[in-house]
Amino acid sequence: MTPKFAIKNLHKRFGHKKVLEGVDLEIKTGESMVIIGGSGSGKSVLLKCLLGLIKADSGSIEMDGKQILKESNAQNEARLRDIGVVFQGSALFDSISVWENVAFRLIHAQHMPKNKAKEIALEKLAAVGLSPSVAELSPAEISGGMQRRVALARAIATQPHVLFFDEPTSGLDPIFSSVINDLILTCVKDLGATALTITHDMKIARHVADRIAMLYEGKIIWCGPADKIERCDNPYVQQFINGLSTGPIELETEIKRVA
Amino acid sequence: MVWALSSIGRIFLEFLGSTGRLSLFFFNAIVQGLRPPYYLHQVMRQFFEIGYLSLPVVGLTALFTGMVLALQSYTGFSRFNAEGAIASVIVLSMTRELGPVLAGLMVAGRIGAAMAAEIGTMRVTEQIDALVTLSTNPQKYLITPRLIAGVTMLPLLVIVADIIGVFGGYIVSIYRLGFNPASYLKQTFEFMEMGDVTSGLIKAAVFGFIISLMGCYHGFNSKGGAEGVGKATTYAVVSSSILILITNFILTSLLFEQGKP
Repeated sequence: MTPKFAIKNLHKRFGHKKVLEGVDLEIKTGESMVIIGGSGSGKSVLLKCLLGLIKADSGSIEMDGKQILKESNAQNEARLRDIGVVFQGSALFDSISVWENVAFRLIHAQHMPKNKAKEIALEKLAAVGLSPSVAELSPAEISGGMQRRVALARAIATQPHVLFFDEPTSGLDPIFSSVINDLILTCVKDLGATALTITHDMKIARHVADRIAMLYEGKIIWCGPADKIERCDNPYVQQFINGLSTGPIELETEIKRVA
Repeated sequence: MVWALSSIGRIFLEFLGSTGRLSLFFFNAIVQGLRPPYYLHQVMRQFFEIGYLSLPVVGLTALFTGMVLALQSYTGFSRFNAEGAIASVIVLSMTRELGPVLAGLMVAGRIGAAMAAEIGTMRVTEQIDALVTLSTNPQKYLITPRLIAGVTMLPLLVIVADIIGVFGGYIVSIYRLGFNPASYLKQTFEFMEMGDVTSGLIKAAVFGFIISLMGCYHGFNSKGGAEGVGKATTYAVVSSSILILITNFILTSLLFEQGKP
């Protein structure tokens, strides 16, 4: 069966800084894949390469068997219609209300009448546990946790078959993090979507992942079922998932890779 | 010697690179703007932001400039008994030069900075990336409406600035310098030609384009968090102000050649 995403030998560097150094990864249709790794390990860059927001230097990325690295802007725009994304800082548009954020794609890309789009937006807001009274507020008027829920509602508004989450719980307190984790799980299951979550939070990784891959120094150093990660014998993975300050992962990693 | 030449070469290459990037940015915004969908609500919002919200600052600048112009012209002209020419000097100065340039510089400070800051913040908080993932072209949605509004609204602001500036000169001339209102007005309209106003409006449209382009370009390409947005805002205001002054000279030279008897 063709995987949803097939990434082969992907490289990306910014100036002298190597970020991705031959990433190989397959994400199967309908699975929830979580990529873990320390800060600056290239997780977000990999996600942006999959979205076409950053062009990789070499290698290949296939989505449903089609090469996406050389696609035109129009092809990328069409491909992204089936992908919902929750960004690290929510990335809600400040100049419009909460419901307009949720309905943005419905109104601007699908040209749905505003009243119909608003109905769907309110429905999605309810699905992530937000009351209709929030809908007319501006994103700046709601808390960080609520913003993250709005971002999730926006991502699922058009019922996409692929969902990407970039550090979905960063900056949230443990209670809100648990709420977001549960919502992600529910949304992914309800849509039957293929999900890719980027995080360094092991709690969310264990909670939502079918499979986990660890990115270190621009390469996938371990990939396997979520329930096997605790027993894996890779010392880098063990140090990371147990949050140990000593081990093979050195804090100077970034400086070394620049050189 | 080699070091000096390589420095000059580097600066020249950097200049060419920046010009190329700016040109591509502009052409991309135009090409994207010509293709549907059209974001009319965004254009209307920018009309309001650039046009209506800039009225107080442009109006006040024009009013006091007209008033000062009347006083200074009187000081100079009274030395060779030419006080009667004040009305024509004020109307010519305001419509041909001070109206468009001062309105341009004030709008560059107000709107150019706001555009760079807003778009720059959207860039560093991933809102522009979010636009792309929501199947919306950011250049079409953010840049084209601002370019259209800049080119359209600046001439309208300059018409207002011209009227208020001339009115400021009238107030000082009548109530401070003791001119006869009827003869002052007669002289104002007698010496003003349509070409004076249109040359100012042509300049205004070009300045509006420069302000929007520089604000959007620097905001769109900002990076590095709050510091990057701050730098983008500074570059937008400084570059648009300098370009307005340079372009003003070029346009004045061209229009001067055309307007010669």
